[in-house]
Amino acid sequence: MTAVLLAAILLPMLSVPLLVWAGARWGSRAGRVALVVPLTSLALIGWLLSGAEAMTERVVTIPWIPSLGIELSFIVDGLSLFFGLVVSAMGVLVTLYASSYLDDHYRDHGRFYAYLMLFMASMLGCVFSENLLLLFVFWEMTGISSFLLIGFLHDKQDSRDGARMALFTTGGAGLAMLAGVVLLGEVTGTYSLVALRDGAMTQSMAEHGASWDGILTVAFVLMMIGALAKSAQFPFHYWLPNAMAAPTPVSAYLHSATMVKLGVFFIARIFPIAAMLEAWTPLLVSIGFLTMLLGAIFALLSHDLKGVLAYSTVSQLGFLVGFYGMSNTDGASLDLLHVASHVFYKGCLFMVVGIVDHAAGSRDLRKLGGLSRRLPALTIITLIAAASMAGLPGTMGFISKEYMLKAKFDHWHSDAWLNWLPLTLVIIASLVKVLFSIRLVRSTFFGPLPSEIDEHFHKPSGWMLISPAILAGCCLTFGLWPDLISPALRTLSVEGLHLETSIHLKIWHGWTREFWTSLGIMGLGAFAWLLLGAGRLNRAGIPSWLRFDQAFNAFMNAIPAIAKKITSLTRADRPMDYLPIILGTIFVSVGSLIVVHGARLLELTGLRGDWRVSELLDPLRSFVLLLVAIAVLMVTTLRRWTTQLVALGTVGFLLTFYFVLFRAPDLAMTQILVEAATLILVLMLLSRFPRAAETGERESRPAATRRIMNIVVAVIAGLTVTAFTFVVATSKHAEPAGDFYLKQSVPAAKGTNAVNTILVDFRGFDTLMEVTVLLIATLGALGLLMRYRRTEAEAKAGPMGPPGMGVIHETDAERERWTDR
Amino acid sequence: MNLARSFIFTRVAIFLFFVINLFSIYLLLRGHNHPGGGFIGGLGSGMSLVLLSLAVGVEQMQKVLRVDPVRLATLGLLVATLSSALPMLWGDPFLTQYNIKIGGVGLGTPLIFDIGVYLVVIGITVRLIVILARPVEGLCSLTPIERTRYASEIEKPIDQPIEQKIETNWGGQG
Repeated sequence: MTAVLLAAILLPMLSVPLLVWAGARWGSRAGRVALVVPLTSLALIGWLLSGAEAMTERVVTIPWIPSLGIELSFIVDGLSLFFGLVVSAMGVLVTLYASSYLDDHYRDHGRFYAYLMLFMASMLGCVFSENLLLLFVFWEMTGISSFLLIGFLHDKQDSRDGARMALFTTGGAGLAMLAGVVLLGEVTGTYSLVALRDGAMTQSMAEHGASWDGILTVAFVLMMIGALAKSAQFPFHYWLPNAMAAPTPVSAYLHSATMVKLGVFFIARIFPIAAMLEAWTPLLVSIGFLTMLLGAIFALLSHDLKGVLAYSTVSQLGFLVGFYGMSNTDGASLDLLHVASHVFYKGCLFMVVGIVDHAAGSRDLRKLGGLSRRLPALTIITLIAAASMAGLPGTMGFISKEYMLKAKFDHWHSDAWLNWLPLTLVIIASLVKVLFSIRLVRSTFFGPLPSEIDEHFHKPSGWMLISPAILAGCCLTFGLWPDLISPALRTLSVEGLHLETSIHLKIWHGWTREFWTSLGIMGLGAFAWLLLGAGRLNRAGIPSWLRFDQAFNAFMNAIPAIAKKITSLTRADRPMDYLPIILGTIFVSVGSLIVVHGARLLELTGLRGDWRVSELLDPLRSFVLLLVAIAVLMVTTLRRWTTQLVALGTVGFLLTFYFVLFRAPDLAMTQILVEAATLILVLMLLSRFPRAAETGERESRPAATRRIMNIVVAVIAGLTVTAFTFVVATSKHAEPAGDFYLKQSVPAAKGTNAVNTILVDFRGFDTLMEVTVLLIATLGALGLLMRYRRTEAEAKAGPMGPPGMGVIHETDAERERWTDR
Repeated sequence: MNLARSFIFTRVAIFLFFVINLFSIYLLLRGHNHPGGGFIGGLGSGMSLVLLSLAVGVEQMQKVLRVDPVRLATLGLLVATLSSALPMLWGDPFLTQYNIKIGGVGLGTPLIFDIGVYLVVIGITVRLIVILARPVEGLCSLTPIERTRYASEIEKPIDQPIEQKIETNWGGQG
């Protein structure tokens, strides 16, 4: 079983490079190849599910960083299998859909499928995680891969803004979640979800009494910030509609079926752990149902088809969050039904929107119309899915709504406001939902066909219809014969989260309260539609003070603007002007250290036993010291950048002598090579400066005050460094760290070169991270250096000349600018 | 005043290129027991390529190297990471190293890790020198292939490509 589970998660991850390669080779046909990956994962997860009537919980643990209590620990139970199935099955449908959607008009197909599979792998990892920290790692991976997917069409401003917004919002809130997870782990002593559920949580609460309730509540609220941001709940709801800049298959997959469900999933996951906290119900109920209503209203006021669907997703997610919030602490019921119902109709509708966009060239509800004559099959699919969204009888949405109203009527909370608030909000939101479902179908498929749509129209490929048709079929089948889904719900129910184990869904319950309510909602919705009409809605819009995304973008744009302002206030034209600041800081920080250790400095006259005057006056050392001193003097007296640099380099080379003297050949070699590399790098860099800059520096002799200032700075810096060296050299450590490595080098690391054994063995992790950072820093430097802009004069002057010679500016204006200073 | 590069310098540099590389591999291999190691070896090999680019020009050097240095560095990182992660397959912790001795010669997995470091260091040294040196020789910062690799269309290098390559003018002042 371990192997099957790991294969289901790792295969999509390992397929990433292969898919990039396939995309480079086969272009748009790479999608058909990519289809193999989610199919395999689906089959593997299906295999895990098979054979069990009531799901027993299975945990797989592989040690990862045992010293920190972090394990690659996966859990296979009803909840993880359900979400695993949703993720992989939607993965299949979306890949199938994308392989026709992303035709040859798009570029980088390989990269698209690679990102998609990376996302799928992170989602699967997330839902199967048993360790909270592992869950967080996968959680962040979904954020990163969704950033790449939203920004896939990166030459569009919308895409870049949307991707940035999603990353910052969910990533920033993810940090809050990490803080919450760590807090919880520190308080209870474990990151394992199973251990937490089986008593670690209650035990730590019992041990520490009521005072710890506060800490646990803080941890819980922090974790909820992360989860709610991921699920686009108020006040983080703004990122989801902006993420719609992604290609439609991405929206169908990430922003309706899977990623935004992660927050809901997380809430379900920690339900058995955290539902007993007092903050649970008020927090989730208020945010969830408020978001539900807001989302529904925004969906009604949006005109972009994808915007409508995005806000309706926000609304539905709000319902799910609130649903878990108002469930009593013993467990929720039928939550998986609500999730599945939403996946079916919303995934389907997103795919439909993609086809409409493709065929008609517009997604604006105000411009569309009359497409039923051209796309009859699509119209039927949309009608089914929209009916499910509105909750009409015969669809899965109806079943879901019936049971959710029933749950609300059945479970009364002791606080009155927690009863009437959800009920009112749900009823109003459902009413609005009916409204925008009607509007979506009516404005897209019926009414007159506008001429510009007619002109642009071209028939979409039949392949694209398969996935939405399957989803719409599910909406209808499970709506008409809901008992078909009951065995699955029974099998997948999880101890501690789910209430009932004997579920039998029925389409008809008699004339119950919920049926009357449902009828009322539909009737009122239809009446309100007749009252409002399409025209009035077309003129409406979301009020600007509720457009958090605009505020967010303004904030993001303000950061570089403020940085620019600060820079322009503090910057100096001459690098020299920074020198006193830098050296002054060093002087103050090091100087204070010396003052603290001043007593020891006074003892220096006695010196430690190994300081001998004869050693200080060793002829060889003194000679090298003399050479260093001469080189340093040359740096100060020479007047050309190049020669100054060479003199400075000489100092560096001469210092290697001391490394050799103290038997550190590794250091000596490193010093020589680094010195050479730095010298060449800086020479190259200087050659990119205008030649006149060097001339200018030479000709503007420093004024007397400036010279005195320079001398003062230099003397102070020199004294500080000397004093610092003395202090460091004379301070006694209890046990030098080096001794351990020297002793252990041969027995533990089997190498006689202690420097190398430290690098590759004792501190191997450090080295690995260092080279990683090096590579990242290089890529960053590349980004800056390749954008170097040459002035027109420079371009005319041709190549810049050999290193160190500088660029020659031929124009008179340039020369004047540099020499007349 | 168009001066070609010094003939003597070019020849000596090409000769030294091979010698330095030989020495750098020697340093890499002996690293675990004697002065040397991946970092020093890599830096040496990187410097040999820098020397070559000074002798025959950056473009020629890139032809000799053939691969994009960043790819070299990425490969190195991959080697180091995989060699560290491999012991996890049979249950040992991350970064477990193994050593054996065959007839007085010590062999061990630290060498594989060191090879990774070696490649990373070569890659980044050469990459940084190349990107600085190319404009000096009047070339665009990136080769056309690299431009497609690193920069999307919105982030084209601002450096205006110079239409025809002008003969490198090593004499200075023109």
